[in-house]
Amino acid sequence: MKLPERLEPTIKEIKFILKRFKDSPLSIAGILIVLAFVVIAVFAPLLAPPQVYNPYLIPSDPELGYKIEPSPPSPKHPFGTTRLQLDVYYGCIWGTRWAFQIALEVIIIVVIIGVALGVISGYYGGIIDEIIMRFTDIILAFPGLILSMCLVAVLTRSGWLTIDAVLLSIIIIGWPGYTRLIRGEVLRVKTEDYIEAARASGASDLRIMFRHILPNTIYSLIIVASLDFGGIVLTAAALSFLGLGAPAGFADWGRLIYDSMQFVAGGLKWWWVYTYPGVFIVLFVLGWSLLGDALRDVLDPLYRRK
Amino acid sequence: MGLREYIIRRLILLIPVALGVVILIFSLLQLVPPERRVLLYLSGNPRELNPEIIKAYIHMYGLDQPVWTQFAIWLDQLIHGNLGYSEYFQELVLQGLLKRAPATLEIVLYAAPIIILVGIWAGVNAAVRRDKPFDHASRVLSVLGTSLPSFFFGILLSAIFIATLKWTGPGRLTFRIESEISSLARTGQWYTYTNLMTLDCLLNGRFDFFLDALKHLVLPVTVLVLINTATLVRVARSSMLESLSKTYIIAAKAKGLSQKEVVYKHARRNALIPVVTLAGLIVGGMMTGLVITETVFLFPGLGNWAATAAQHFDIPVVAAYAMFSAIVFVLANLIVDILYAYIDPRIRLG
Amino acid sequence: MEKEANNEIIEINDLYLNFYTYEGIVKALDGVSLKIKKGEILGIVGETGCGKSVTSLSILKIVVPPGKIESGKVIFNIKGKSYNILDLNEPTMTRVRGRYISMIFQEPRAALNPVYSVGDQIGEVFYLHRKEEIINAVIEQLKTDIEKTVGFKRRICRLYLSLYEKMLQNPKSLKVRLALKIPILRRFQNRMKTEVRNRAIELLRLLRIPDPARVVDMYPHELSGGMAQRCVIAMALVANPILLIADEPTTSLDVTVQAQILILMKELQKELGSAILYVTHDLGVVAEVCDRVAVMYAGNVVEIADVMTLFKEPAHPYTQGLLASIPRPGKPFTSIPGIVPSLINPPKGCRFNDRCKYAMDVCRNKKPALLDIGEGHYVACHLHGGQ
Repeated sequence: MKLPERLEPTIKEIKFILKRFKDSPLSIAGILIVLAFVVIAVFAPLLAPPQVYNPYLIPSDPELGYKIEPSPPSPKHPFGTTRLQLDVYYGCIWGTRWAFQIALEVIIIVVIIGVALGVISGYYGGIIDEIIMRFTDIILAFPGLILSMCLVAVLTRSGWLTIDAVLLSIIIIGWPGYTRLIRGEVLRVKTEDYIEAARASGASDLRIMFRHILPNTIYSLIIVASLDFGGIVLTAAALSFLGLGAPAGFADWGRLIYDSMQFVAGGLKWWWVYTYPGVFIVLFVLGWSLLGDALRDVLDPLYRRK
Repeated sequence: MGLREYIIRRLILLIPVALGVVILIFSLLQLVPPERRVLLYLSGNPRELNPEIIKAYIHMYGLDQPVWTQFAIWLDQLIHGNLGYSEYFQELVLQGLLKRAPATLEIVLYAAPIIILVGIWAGVNAAVRRDKPFDHASRVLSVLGTSLPSFFFGILLSAIFIATLKWTGPGRLTFRIESEISSLARTGQWYTYTNLMTLDCLLNGRFDFFLDALKHLVLPVTVLVLINTATLVRVARSSMLESLSKTYIIAAKAKGLSQKEVVYKHARRNALIPVVTLAGLIVGGMMTGLVITETVFLFPGLGNWAATAAQHFDIPVVAAYAMFSAIVFVLANLIVDILYAYIDPRIRLG
Repeated sequence: MEKEANNEIIEINDLYLNFYTYEGIVKALDGVSLKIKKGEILGIVGETGCGKSVTSLSILKIVVPPGKIESGKVIFNIKGKSYNILDLNEPTMTRVRGRYISMIFQEPRAALNPVYSVGDQIGEVFYLHRKEEIINAVIEQLKTDIEKTVGFKRRICRLYLSLYEKMLQNPKSLKVRLALKIPILRRFQNRMKTEVRNRAIELLRLLRIPDPARVVDMYPHELSGGMAQRCVIAMALVANPILLIADEPTTSLDVTVQAQILILMKELQKELGSAILYVTHDLGVVAEVCDRVAVMYAGNVVEIADVMTLFKEPAHPYTQGLLASIPRPGKPFTSIPGIVPSLINPPKGCRFNDRCKYAMDVCRNKKPALLDIGEGHYVACHLHGGQ
């Protein structure tokens, strides 16, 4: 009652969102999983202190000798070691940080490109729209991972670092989706009466875009980006798995699994080499997709009241 | 009639996209130095590739000409079916493609019907039994399907079923049987009808071989099915829920139809309309899934071919597979559009 | 007493229905009681959300989740026997719906399935409720054909005849089920299909649809609103139901089309003798069509009377307010003060008490009962017979 009256709807909204979250165990699970990964990523230097100048390089244990065969989990190596006695636990922990790094870099760049091109395309229409849309058509004509694979192969062949090639290739397959999303939203919002009113009152194009159109697209952007977060890491891991990602000894979940391929023939004898990184990937992707679903349930007016 | 015009219009719209795909790949290939790009033009096995010969080839295929001339030459090559030469596999790309396509086709022929039938069945039933155990179970499975990476799932399966239980093996056939077949073929007692292994085994009357081939298909097909069914279930479920909430469902009930007839005759047909659009997506998912699955299970198909080529930066193969999958993807979407028109009278007649 | 019971086809007694929504439990029907007499047109009027559509769907026992019937009875009198519809099981209900009680809807194009043609959808009702009649007709045709034809054709006719006779005696017999599966034999159904189609065309003609033979093959999206509504009515009339529930059948139509449909319905009602439950919010339509009217407010029936009485001497303050708010030229525009209460937390006592200018203490504490104040005029208000 003491609160200013204009805040009341906001508080009601927050209460509604919290209640919605609380009522869905899956949403809570999603949030908890993602939070756990954030904690791991942030405290990686404490959880697994780096031993060389580049923390993303997995240290190997000289005490176990440089033999190829993995060693089982022990107090010193809780997840065991993989090829050449590289510590799986270290790889999983720093792999979390690496996953966040890839996903954040890609998402930020893709969202910027998507928003810029989408707004231009939707707002101005005409020939610019046509060109941008045909361009997205062509990229979307490829199954994502395959175009990405092709890009990495070509870029590496022409002298790029694999890691940079992977990032660039995921960005290239990612931007058309966002551009189309934003364009669609802009087209939808553009016809609303209040945009007409703003235009009639003499607002400039830029002002209309930033004050009126973009805030309306932000929710769908958040939903799609969070659903995409796991997908990006999954694509990067798949590329690594094909031998096109991080180099050997790098703390990357996909790379750890790629390295473990040679031990699969041993059956469950060396189960830890692929199981731990695999579980990390599964939980990461699962957490983000549950979180994305939860956000959609809360933010998307279509799903809100059912 | 409307439908035929619609199909023709769609086919015409296909041309710019196909051209766009080719242009995109061509511009990508410009990043590769001409000494390596030459491989894309070769139409036979070069005995030797020393700098002198390469220089001669560069001149011969116009790689020292302006870009648009190069493009015209390349396009001409493509139209004549010349996809270049693969240094790693030591064969023409087109040959390699044709050689491996049947293995992949076989997986797809087994996986696709299962994906479609299971996906629609599970989605429809989850919607009908909303918030009941079946719905929850299918939801858990579909969440798992979307977050379980195919390579991890594949590795787990092969560690359990291949390495530990020795229940089946990698590749297309057990090695013993493969060599038996090739010796049979040499003496003319084995005839290759379709290159689809299971079918050929049956046509040759070897049921034991057939079982072996089938066993080798189980794991790759399982992986493909699990990861591709998930999205389908989700969409089918929500589409069915929407359809079930429509007035015509109440109207159908008010007519005296039983719940079963209402669900399966009235609701499902409407719910399938948006689900059909997913089929294109599934084809895309399959093309991607095949690369991973075939690599995990060492299945000698197109996906394994492309992945191996990519690992060795064998550009002509990778480019060919990318273009091939894009064209398949686009064609699948075309078929989807036609199916869509067929199911939905509003498009067929409107 | 007995005579009266025979005269009423539906008696709704003290029906309670809740919606379990995310925001809370919506008490949508709060002890609704109604009687529908044979051959009459009973109107239900009320504002949006007052429970009139739910009441009509309850009669068919079609309550869509999150709705749930809590208690009450819907007595259905037919052929001298009474059944409580809410106690009947689903298979029995499928024989009641569309056969004895059928329904037409507010949005005709939404009530038609977009992927089936009009003929298919009308035909479906024939197969459901008048199959025997159709098979008999086909058998008659076949018998005359057998006499006329010779040779092979005659043998086919004989075979078909045996199949149809079997279908009549025992539709689940192996012979029939096989015949329905085997491609060439399946053709025997063609005669039945033609018969159904012809009957559908006949029905559409009865509803004054121009060129019915063409319309029968059209899809819902190709029809205008008025045409679609006629098709929906046709669907509802296939089995000559005893009661036709019309849920705002003209609301979504143009005024001129509205009038046509109203006239048509009145004529058909006279011809077929079915009772009609006419749900609407339009008092003008009520005055035009109905014999008796029930006024609903926030999940309660507040007044029932025949049309003349209701319009001349409305007894409930809500009805008075409703009638006063009909715009008339030369009269100042009036409306009922306040808004419809939330049915999650409805007012205690009479649900109208917070908007009623006559509200007394008793109104805020005790729910008024629906009492007869003379000649079938019922009202639920403490102002009347509050002793």
